[in-house]
Amino acid sequence: MQAVRKTFGSVVALNEVNLHINRNEIHGLLGGNGAGKTTLMNVLYGLYKPDSGQIRLDGQPVEIHSPRDAIRQGIGMVHQHFLQVDTYTVLENIVLGTAIKNRPTMQLAEAEQRVKALSDQFGLTVKPQAMLETLPMGARQRVEILKALYRGIKILILDEPTTNLTPQEVDSLFESLRVMVSQGMSVVFITHKLGEVMSACDRITVLREGQSVLTLDRAAASPESLVQAMVGDELDVADSLLFSTSKTVSDPPDRTQPPILAMDAVTVLGDNRQPLLEACSLAVYPNEIVGIAGVAGNGQRELAESILGLQAPSAGRISIAGTDVAQTPTVKLLEKLVSYIPEDRLQDGFLPSASVGQNLILGRHRQEPYSKNGFLNWPVINRAARRLIGEYKIRTLGPDDTGANLSGGNIQRVMIARAFSFPAQLVVAHNPTQGLDIPSIEFVFSKLLAHKAAGGATLLISENLEELLLLCDRIATLYRGRIAGILTRDEFDKYEIGRLMSGARIDS
Amino acid sequence: MDQAQLTNFAKLVILAMVPYVLASQGTMLGGRTGIFNVAQEGIMLVGASVGFLAAYLSNSLLVGVLAATLVGGVFGLALAYFTTTLRMNQFVIGLALFFIGLALSTLLFKFAIGVTLRPPLVPTLPNIAIPGLAQIPFLGEVLFDQNWLVYFTFIVSAFLYYLLYQTSFGLELRAVGENPKAADSLGVNVTLLRYGTAIAGGMLMGIAGAYLPMVYTGTFTEGIVQGRGWLAIALTFFGGWRPDFIFLGALFFAGVEVLALRVQVIGSVVPYQILLMLPYIATILVMMPAFKGVRAPAFLGQNYDREKRTQV
Repeated sequence: MQAVRKTFGSVVALNEVNLHINRNEIHGLLGGNGAGKTTLMNVLYGLYKPDSGQIRLDGQPVEIHSPRDAIRQGIGMVHQHFLQVDTYTVLENIVLGTAIKNRPTMQLAEAEQRVKALSDQFGLTVKPQAMLETLPMGARQRVEILKALYRGIKILILDEPTTNLTPQEVDSLFESLRVMVSQGMSVVFITHKLGEVMSACDRITVLREGQSVLTLDRAAASPESLVQAMVGDELDVADSLLFSTSKTVSDPPDRTQPPILAMDAVTVLGDNRQPLLEACSLAVYPNEIVGIAGVAGNGQRELAESILGLQAPSAGRISIAGTDVAQTPTVKLLEKLVSYIPEDRLQDGFLPSASVGQNLILGRHRQEPYSKNGFLNWPVINRAARRLIGEYKIRTLGPDDTGANLSGGNIQRVMIARAFSFPAQLVVAHNPTQGLDIPSIEFVFSKLLAHKAAGGATLLISENLEELLLLCDRIATLYRGRIAGILTRDEFDKYEIGRLMSGARIDS
Repeated sequence: MDQAQLTNFAKLVILAMVPYVLASQGTMLGGRTGIFNVAQEGIMLVGASVGFLAAYLSNSLLVGVLAATLVGGVFGLALAYFTTTLRMNQFVIGLALFFIGLALSTLLFKFAIGVTLRPPLVPTLPNIAIPGLAQIPFLGEVLFDQNWLVYFTFIVSAFLYYLLYQTSFGLELRAVGENPKAADSLGVNVTLLRYGTAIAGGMLMGIAGAYLPMVYTGTFTEGIVQGRGWLAIALTFFGGWRPDFIFLGALFFAGVEVLALRVQVIGSVVPYQILLMLPYIATILVMMPAFKGVRAPAFLGQNYDREKRTQV
């Protein structure tokens, strides 16, 4: 790919990017969020139309206008958010869009044989007749890869393939990729995780702010050089928490004191009376960060919302600093006891049509000094907002700017500012770094550690295991709404957590 | 009720279900690619008006049906264009098309016929007995001694079922209504399928409209559709957007409707307004538990934009 340029409105997503992929190699495409990795690959796959630039395959210029063209040229892509029809079987998802004999009725037996052969060849185990919506994430990803292989592709693009996989599933994915490249295919591996490129890739290209910064053989690459290339001059890598190699980033807490958050056998039922959170007992002490690991959708959201009093448990008791959550309205909890960074910031945390200032005090807008006798005190609000905008480096025109003008990263900074700028003994943070660029992630980490150092308790729910291993004093793993196990810092082992995440301990 | 009365009753039920089935299958077809048509009532009115006028002026019922098909297709095309190409809100466009159809049906009739004391008439569709099949006792007479649009309705329903569930084309079509991005990423032409189903769906609604003057009244009257178009939406939902369930649902509804009319004619102490409500109440009561597990296409009523970024 040569000099590819793509803009969305006034935003330049890709600026003259070059990428060269060899046969028989796993090529890592490394970069922080917003670096343009996915955009570049969407151009190659025909989903986005580039403004300029050229794509050549085996030396020949090719025009790719749609995914259909890309597949015909032998290019397949597995998106980060799988593009699958949940109500179809595995086999139906794989054959969708390919020619099948239709007379007298649809003949799928032959296709099923081919899928089985491919899955044996590359070690990608699936059940062809299983309904897709019943499958775990690892199996869904294997379906996506088989979908591409079934079409006889030569270049496979994987967009952040390890999100939501257990460490064991990651290892087996890498093994399958090795088999593919040994048989003449090429794999492009998009990731923001340094460890993965170093362990899995043959060559690495780093993107930053829509530009290709450098391309290296793995043998020539060092973690330091890659990190510096990813972040540029914005961050001093030597001081960085994110890339810190030391085992401890903070002091262990004192668990002899009474806990700030105490959950006792909490059960939350879903719409169909099935438990989404079951008999969940957990305590978070002052000075402690407790992590919640687990594949998304195993009760994380219910856990967070029950602590905030947003979902009423059907059984069990939750208290924050001795206050019973069930007896206290959420607005009272927010006053002094708890701050919340919701998972889905646009859905649950942000008002795009309100001003930045309004968003910054949302949830506290009934408290003094922001409100007096039911009237909002605008001078005070604007003063506070201006202070927060400066302190949290929110890129905005000012407190009166409309929320919708903010980028995703800056919206998250508003969420962080709101959570940490008010007194709270407990912070509940759900995927607080999702979608953030590297300096912002660094910033969130420092805020979480500062809260801990000040004696606060933190519940950090995250799908990013590395993040949990770095920051937490203890990690509890959720599996199907139950806490499958709690490990303290000296017991941390990502494979053990992986086993807990996949329910191996409970099932066996 | 003796044998002859029962046969007659069953024949009327089959006759009554046709417009419901056609309009609902048309709704279902568009919905399966995510296009939620709510202009059924308007399209059926235009179909009735244009179908009647074309038949009256050409002296051919077939020409009338074809004209109604065409105009229904044009409405479907308009819906597809505004929603799929221009990505405007489907519900708003659908309502606009309903009002256009409502007005256009009367306008065209006034323009072509003017105001007359005696309404212009077309002959109603004749029954065509199918040799052999029509000789089967009871069922033969009920099912195979009907007008050709009844047979057309049977065939269309069976064909749609086969198409959706037994062909790879159907697999692709349904995928567009479930997850168009997934279908698009596999080379399925989302835009073409959405246009195709919206147009074909509109055509079926146009025929459903033309059926009314050609079978019941012999002429066009204002508001001849009497809410059948709106009911088709409900029947489609109750039928889980499946051709087979829709057919059964429409059969049941038509049965209760004809029964209510019967009771009215025989005379009863119950006020007739209550009797008119009966089909609707009975349908809701029966269908809610019967088709509890069914669901609508996941992408119903939404527009697809390939380059739209999901993250903000």
